[in-house]
Amino acid sequence: MVNTENAIFSSYKRDPNLNDEIFDKNGNVIEIYKKLLKLYGDHSINDYVNLNTKAKSSFFNQGITFQVYSEKSTQEKIFPFDLFPRIIAPEDWEIIESGSLQRSKALNLFLWDLYHEKKIIKQGIVPMELISSSINYLHQMMDIDPPGGIYNHISGTDIIKHTDGKYYVLEDNIRCPSGVSYVICNRTALKRALFGVFNHYQAHTVTNYAENLLDLLESVKPKGVDVPNCVVITPGMYNSAFYEHSYLAKTMGVELVEGRDLFVENDFVYMKTIQGPQKVDVIYRRIDDFFIDPLEFKPDSAIGVPGLFAAYKKGNVTLANAPGTGVADDKAVYTYMPQIIKYYLDEEPILNNVHTYHCSRPDELKYVLEHIPELVIKPVDEAGGYGISIGNRLSKSEIEQVKKQVGQNPRKYVAQPIMSLSVHPTYIDDTESFEQRHVDLRTYTILGKDKEFVLKGGLTRVALQKGNLIVNSSQGGGSKDTWVLKK
Amino acid sequence: MLARVANNLFWMGRYIERSEHIARYLNVNYFSSLDAPNEISQSRQFVLRSMLFMVGEPENDSKKKLNEEEILYKIGLDPEFSYSILNNVKSTRENANSARDLISTELYEAINKFYHFVLNYPAESFMKQGLFDFTVNITEMTSILRAKLRGTLLHNEVYAIIMMGVNIERATQVIRIINSKYNDALNAQGSYGDKFSNSYEWSTLLKCAESYDMMKRFYKKTPTSISTLEFLILNPNCPRSIMNSLNQVYNHVKVLDSSKKYNKNSTAFLIGKVRAEYEFKYIEEIEEDIQSFIENILESLVKISNKMEKEFFDY
Repeated sequence: MVNTENAIFSSYKRDPNLNDEIFDKNGNVIEIYKKLLKLYGDHSINDYVNLNTKAKSSFFNQGITFQVYSEKSTQEKIFPFDLFPRIIAPEDWEIIESGSLQRSKALNLFLWDLYHEKKIIKQGIVPMELISSSINYLHQMMDIDPPGGIYNHISGTDIIKHTDGKYYVLEDNIRCPSGVSYVICNRTALKRALFGVFNHYQAHTVTNYAENLLDLLESVKPKGVDVPNCVVITPGMYNSAFYEHSYLAKTMGVELVEGRDLFVENDFVYMKTIQGPQKVDVIYRRIDDFFIDPLEFKPDSAIGVPGLFAAYKKGNVTLANAPGTGVADDKAVYTYMPQIIKYYLDEEPILNNVHTYHCSRPDELKYVLEHIPELVIKPVDEAGGYGISIGNRLSKSEIEQVKKQVGQNPRKYVAQPIMSLSVHPTYIDDTESFEQRHVDLRTYTILGKDKEFVLKGGLTRVALQKGNLIVNSSQGGGSKDTWVLKK
Repeated sequence: MLARVANNLFWMGRYIERSEHIARYLNVNYFSSLDAPNEISQSRQFVLRSMLFMVGEPENDSKKKLNEEEILYKIGLDPEFSYSILNNVKSTRENANSARDLISTELYEAINKFYHFVLNYPAESFMKQGLFDFTVNITEMTSILRAKLRGTLLHNEVYAIIMMGVNIERATQVIRIINSKYNDALNAQGSYGDKFSNSYEWSTLLKCAESYDMMKRFYKKTPTSISTLEFLILNPNCPRSIMNSLNQVYNHVKVLDSSKKYNKNSTAFLIGKVRAEYEFKYIEEIEEDIQSFIENILESLVKISNKMEKEFFDY
């Protein structure tokens, strides 16, 4: 139990084995949450139920939803939002921000090297096999110099707080990391519902994301362009992240285009407007590599632009992120991050890496096969939390099943010790009370030509099912507003 | 603005306007028939046929007995019937979705509420006792949408495209309503004491276009065939008239390409030409052959729409 007279926390069940972000080991409220808890204590649980319903319908009416596909029909769902915010202290944030930035920069240099001289491989720091067997390594990108020297303009870093109180990176996302629109919507929703609490805390704003994104995208314009014309490209309105695409276009004040709105002539890209063709210089693309240009990649892609890659190769258009970044956010590359950071930046990693076993190495494969119940087994090239097996939740026959899969295709899997994500009190609809739920944090880092930006906040994702460790929205995760306190 | 998105916004405007006219047509015809002064106008079969005629699905078998609940469901909430209010509202939102980055948050939120209202309206209660509530809500929500259009969007090309859609659709729907009620007035003839020119149907027609009060104010007399048609077609100050709609379309197209209004192949030129034709028409000319007049104007509106498509949306 917890040491607080707070009515809404009277029935809060605290598991002392978990790292609760607002209660310490003895059940006392942690300093930065004291005021918040007092303010929330002014409400009864009924007030809370009402506020929660209102916040939900506000999301629904604003159409802040995502689509869930099932066999019969497509359903519109609200991304579940929790009214109890997460607070990050300035000293913690310093580590997170500098650590995220460090990783993004190192990955950018790594990508440049991979698509140019491959020094890191020649020097034997990263094995060639890791790259050559990756489907995300694009030979078409060899020797291309992306404008401004930037590959991963936008990076999303998934970070957890372990029981030892330290921050660990679980994953780098440098293809099309999503979710930033929810960071901003969560803030708006919380302000609407409980504006009073903001008077008592000095939290950094998150609404400056779009202006910074546009600024940095403009900084990587192609050579010879004075005022660049930026656009956001989306697969279309039936894409599950369409809300975010339209949100970003709207807040940056640029056009949201689909592949069919663009065409390429003499290696320049144009969009079809009511006043005729208009040249496009910078494309923030939310389409995967293999779909951007049917002439160069998947020939049956209906959402891409024929000739786009040729225009890119000529340096007439900037693509953000650059094609071929996927090779570096692969879960197998992840394990080399400490060495990669050291090699390019000559720095020690600020954020910890979770120890990872490569099933491609015979000795490590042996260890993995013998210790499955203590490990998380992940396929290296899947996103969205698919294909993950958590060892201590598997039955005997499931363990055998996993063993067989891993044994058949060891390159496809890595394994990590089961990390215990910190927990945060989360309002649960079914029980109408607060319960402990596991959370992680995705930060957003933008790199431009000689400038950079880390959003002071991030997406705290919550695994809504009790005990569940997978927080992805496609797996039924929710989210929380995240406050980074000013110093 | 992207050509594809412009096309979607144009149709968003049309679908908003279309849902409103269908809803009001159902409401006005149904409720004014309840205490109509003559037997035919009062008959439920007559009203149901009129509704089908208006949505372009006339029942040709004059002996067939129509089922009220079926017809109301079909026009209101049938997902299989492309002209149903439900499908119009769905299309409104779908078009708005694709242009969500261009329209205001306020407008989008209003469209979204509109959509959820219609989508979640229980069909059973709509058919049995919800007709009034449902249709009144539709007309009120479309008024809100018009206010959000006017008040929360920059009056630039995005606004111009949407308003062209709204006004072309308004002219189209009003002329369809005129056609339908003209047809009703012909059918209701001969029942006792009611001649064509003084038919009760003219008042109903004006109410369908929300112009009854304006018309009374203007003529200070009971509506007749000639005064009603003159008011709804030619009066430039009646916001629902064909003339007014054409004037609006003309003003908005100039925002899109002010340079091309004298180019004989432009949309602006065509609209100007059609508009000028009606500006100098008098009602007696029209009355001689109302049927061909209605056909002509529908044809002109289709021509304008096609021309727009070619000039602005074709890609």
